[in-house]
Amino acid sequence: MKKNKKNIWEFPWGYTESFSVMGGILITGFLLQFFSGNVDIEMLHASANLIIGIIIFFIPVVFTIFRKKPIYHWFSGIPFSVTVIATLLILSLIMGLIPQQTGSADLYSDFSFRMGFTRISSSWPFVLVYLICLLSLETIIIKRFLSFRIKDYPFYLIHLGIWLLLFTAGLGAADMRSYVMYVREGETEWRVYNEKGQVLELPIAIELNDFDMELYPPKLAAIDRETGDIQPIGKPDFYQIDEQNPKGNLAGWEIAIEKYIHHAVRNSDSTYREVHMPGASPAVKISARNQQNNIVKTGWVCAGNSAQLYMTLPLNDQYTIVMTQPEPKRFLSDVFVYTKEGEKKHSIIEVNNPLRLGSWTIYQYGYDAEAGRLSSYSSFQLIYDPWLPGVYIGIILLAAGALCMLWSGNKKRRNEYEME
Amino acid sequence: MNMRWSEFIWFALPAMACWLTAGIGVYKWKKAVDLFMIGGILIFSVFIIGFWACLERPPLRTVGETRLWYSFFLTTIGYITYKKWKYNWLLSFSVLIACIFTCINLFKPEIHSKNLMPALQSYWFVPHVTVYILSYAMLGAATIASFIQLRNLQKEKPDKTLYSLIDNLVYIGFSFLILGMLMGAVWAKEAWGTYWSWDPKETWAFITSAAYLIYIHMRLRNNHQVVTLWTLPVAFILLLITWIGVNYLPAAQGSIHTYSN
Repeated sequence: MKKNKKNIWEFPWGYTESFSVMGGILITGFLLQFFSGNVDIEMLHASANLIIGIIIFFIPVVFTIFRKKPIYHWFSGIPFSVTVIATLLILSLIMGLIPQQTGSADLYSDFSFRMGFTRISSSWPFVLVYLICLLSLETIIIKRFLSFRIKDYPFYLIHLGIWLLLFTAGLGAADMRSYVMYVREGETEWRVYNEKGQVLELPIAIELNDFDMELYPPKLAAIDRETGDIQPIGKPDFYQIDEQNPKGNLAGWEIAIEKYIHHAVRNSDSTYREVHMPGASPAVKISARNQQNNIVKTGWVCAGNSAQLYMTLPLNDQYTIVMTQPEPKRFLSDVFVYTKEGEKKHSIIEVNNPLRLGSWTIYQYGYDAEAGRLSSYSSFQLIYDPWLPGVYIGIILLAAGALCMLWSGNKKRRNEYEME
Repeated sequence: MNMRWSEFIWFALPAMACWLTAGIGVYKWKKAVDLFMIGGILIFSVFIIGFWACLERPPLRTVGETRLWYSFFLTTIGYITYKKWKYNWLLSFSVLIACIFTCINLFKPEIHSKNLMPALQSYWFVPHVTVYILSYAMLGAATIASFIQLRNLQKEKPDKTLYSLIDNLVYIGFSFLILGMLMGAVWAKEAWGTYWSWDPKETWAFITSAAYLIYIHMRLRNNHQVVTLWTLPVAFILLLITWIGVNYLPAAQGSIHTYSN
């Protein structure tokens, strides 16, 4: 297939023109970035983002007047779409390769900082390309609705979904707020810290009835009695306590579990018994047999906590068996949440199970890590995001579109030339 | 039942023997292919089921565990696609790649404890990771097919059915990729507070899907065939970085997607 050679900027525009236009946008973006710094997204909070959103929405609608013009075909055509995706790919490659900064930093002398490389997602080039992407997506959607065909439903679902997702996520970023609240057991709190560490008062209060934690059985390790290094050095070996698999091997000693108590309290004679109380911690009775000389050592091992001391089992002059601090299985807070409107809600908040209250979502955030189960406070993350419903609708549309695509493969695809 | 990584070899060797027999036999002795492929997949599944039961959690947490599923899906999908499209090379290649991943797990199993941290205890966990691995398997097969088609292009004889196969694999693999990403977003909102935070793993997942989007859109026009086909191997390299390489990147040292330690 031989084509007549056309000059650049002569319609119809293809990849050369698309990349040139995009190059121009990127240069503008980087110049803006270099001289004015990152886009302050929080400045665009309600209602500035709403106004910008309405403008973004109407540009492609008005642009439809020119739908017979070649520039409209170019803006809604394949080469420009591919160029937009490729540019987003390149910018996110920078994001994926250069460590990104969070919080505020003052490194104005640093070149990659000034170019916005260390904070791509709020840099001018990224924001501009994101905008272009929104505009081109909407133009394509309108164009396809003007030549509507019901069997193109995967196309509509996918493109509407991704447009709504990018639109609400992008503009919503300006309204999103995140706070951390620390509440002591038995107390009620409404003061929070924002991302800059300032204390604020919220229209939401949390009363912490109880903080509780479940633990996994801990691990055992052999350490050097002098240095405390876990053996073998550089490639530490652990034995996970597991009553179904009660034998292990550490530093040339065969370990066998004789008795494991998950909630143990120490007796006066260095043995342990099962007691269900806040200060209890896991303890295990093991026997260790040296694989070379068959010497056997037996005794209790316990990692301890802030309420009771640890216990180790010395093997010889060099090594001793210790228990690691148990890892949390789940931690949860039993709370009452109060709103300014006088609403009161009881809930158990834990990881993967937040509480939703209007535009707010309340998450289990942390606890006193040193005290573990004995923590006297629990911390919560409170996130305000009024644009979330839009994001979810976008996700549902896009997921529905992906399922349709899964079902029909590439059969439903409409040839580009069919619709022109 | 007590099935651990130490027992893996007793399932891996017979399964690989079956798969390789089928992968080589497909050129000479077609009748045996069904028996050996299904046999191998069944043996491999028995280990996965036993391992799952023994761990008391789905084996989807570490890279070693996801490799297990990759071998499983690659052989299963490779076999089904072979049955539909009758490409011998497709069966051989998927068997070969599945065996390589099985061998990596034999020599470097990356044994980990049974403990599942609270953030991973969610009903999103299994579907989120499974659809990703499924998608990786399909896109892997598409990459192999793209090399064959590139060779055809050199001879100026592009195979129309092969294009159709590649496009189908990419469309289906990409759908799974999108579904995995969306489930991840919903899960992240439940667990971490934001549906998208440009965490390194998320950034790379975005890069990967953008690369496949380029292929899908460029295929809508039939020009630039060589460039279009080359996007598949490039996209697959980006996919591998997302899956495995991201843990080694300096930009990812603070990633919240690291669970192996």
